[in-house]
Amino acid sequence: MPRSFLTALAGILAALLIGAGVMLAQGYNPAATYAALFEFSLGDVDSLATTLKNAIPLILTGLSASVAFASGPVNLGQPGQLLFGALLATLGGLYLPLPAPLLIPSLLALAMLGGALWAGLAALLRRAFDMSEFIVTLMLNSIADLFTFWAITGPLADPDAFSPMTPAIQPAGWLPEWGEFSSALLVLALAAAGIWFVFQRWTAGYEWRLTGQNALFARLGGCNISRNFVAVMLTTGALAGLAGGLVVMAGPHRFLKGLGANYAWDGVMIAVVANNSLPGTLLYGLFFSALQTGALGMELITAVPSEFIQVLQAVIVLVVVASRGRLSEWLDVWAARRRARVKPLAPAPD
Amino acid sequence: MRIFIGLITGTLASATPILLAALGGAFTYYAGLFNIAMEGMLLVGAFCAVLGAYFFQSWLAGVLCAVLGATALALLFILFAIVLKTDEFVTGIALNLFAVGATTYLLRQIFDVKGSLSDPRLPAIPAVTIPLLHDVPVLGAVVSGQNLMVYAAGLATVISAYLIFGTRFGLRLRAAGHNAASLETSGVSAARVRVWALLACGVLCGLGGAFLSLGYVRLFAENMSAGRGWISLAAIILVNGNPWGLAVIALLFGFSDGLGLLLQSAQIPSQFTGMVPYLATLLALSVYATRRAKARPA
Repeated sequence: MPRSFLTALAGILAALLIGAGVMLAQGYNPAATYAALFEFSLGDVDSLATTLKNAIPLILTGLSASVAFASGPVNLGQPGQLLFGALLATLGGLYLPLPAPLLIPSLLALAMLGGALWAGLAALLRRAFDMSEFIVTLMLNSIADLFTFWAITGPLADPDAFSPMTPAIQPAGWLPEWGEFSSALLVLALAAAGIWFVFQRWTAGYEWRLTGQNALFARLGGCNISRNFVAVMLTTGALAGLAGGLVVMAGPHRFLKGLGANYAWDGVMIAVVANNSLPGTLLYGLFFSALQTGALGMELITAVPSEFIQVLQAVIVLVVVASRGRLSEWLDVWAARRRARVKPLAPAPD
Repeated sequence: MRIFIGLITGTLASATPILLAALGGAFTYYAGLFNIAMEGMLLVGAFCAVLGAYFFQSWLAGVLCAVLGATALALLFILFAIVLKTDEFVTGIALNLFAVGATTYLLRQIFDVKGSLSDPRLPAIPAVTIPLLHDVPVLGAVVSGQNLMVYAAGLATVISAYLIFGTRFGLRLRAAGHNAASLETSGVSAARVRVWALLACGVLCGLGGAFLSLGYVRLFAENMSAGRGWISLAAIILVNGNPWGLAVIALLFGFSDGLGLLLQSAQIPSQFTGMVPYLATLLALSVYATRRAKARPA
């Protein structure tokens, strides 16, 4: 743990330095820019609350990708699963006549169901035709994008709105605000604790991790590989779907055009940079959310376009992942050298 | 008749960028690289094409810039995946993200616009009229008068097939993917062969990207590659990278795209017709998977 923490920190610092170099080359002040970036994302309670709220979909899609990658299935379908989760939650919020204590859990369940169904479709195609889920989930992302866009411009469109969106869901389905903080954070905490328990402490999670590391060994050990594959796809789909539901229920309370666009690849990106570790996913989710949340404030203060953050994120991913392998190697060499110095070989007897 | 010719032209136009990207990916596929960065290379190519065409007021400069831009991304792939030995999948994902971020950022920085840039002064890649053929009634309208890059894609197919199957370089390329260790024992560096494959991929994706932004339209929009790089990856998986097979698959996808546009005039919402190429990819993959299952002895 300390070593992975160390290499990650070194990678992030190196990436921030590269970012500073780019800013210098364009005539911006890097120190002021980074200061503004973190002031507007972590500086006061208000912006901290926004950063935490924005981190919810990042962390949930990140957990979805991490669990999937660590268990074997290359589920790249978080964007589509998020959209279907949001769509089902919106449908329930518009048409289910329930009081808040019943409606909120139902909408959360619907969101998870939406994501699980869309991921389940990919799992079904894998089971029936042996089609690689890698390409299938990517194609399903594009289809989900078009389908939900049709839904919010056609059958579910709000006739009074100027841009494509659904009407607001019933207030009973809105997640309450606790002071500055959204209660969606509680849902996130429960979901994260739940997936951690399943993945790290439960027999099912043990089998998933085993399959991810060595599918043949897992099969010989008696794991049902194809059943586990479906279970992983459904679980990770549900996590991504929940992210979509929470975005609707905690934020605009309706399905807006481009709802998922902001989180399209963020989940996969976070899983990759966190090396599929669940605590790492949580930390990087918060970190990337801080970058994205502070971006607008940064633009306001130092005129660096907020799009710069997208570049910075990609640089962080590349540098952190590349330095993880290299730095680890150097540390090994360094440790070996030091050991050799402390305990020199016994002089050869005469 | 006009619908028929329109359908064929539309097919060729949508097939061209997919074919060029897929040919690029074929080189890396044979070299044994898991390269998923075509999407990003197309996007960077499309952006740099507009950049070059805008500042030099010449489509040729645009195409050259597109090739340079996409090759620069290929160099980054080489730096991380081959020199630093970062995981290829991770490198590809990160480079695609980088491409989206960098083009969006530069669009804002250089042109001061958000979303998309279209300028009537942007020079387009010209169409080519073939002298005698042009006057043959139906054939002329189909074979002649297409965009230059459509012919370039056809030529690239022939050249790629020759390079991969007819030259010493191609032999080494396939050996690098098939059994890198035995290639190394014969004294050829597999890493060097892979570097060349990635550079070829950059050049071809640059051409494809230039066609996206300077072919039939003259504009750059954020994320305008819109999954074409992924479709080209699916095509490579379908035909195991064979250039002739790629041409057939690209034409099929192009046709489904053109068909989608045709269906749109039949009162079907454009969102559903837009799904056609992705559904066609899924269908093609399922056919391929079933065929492979039959071929395998039970």
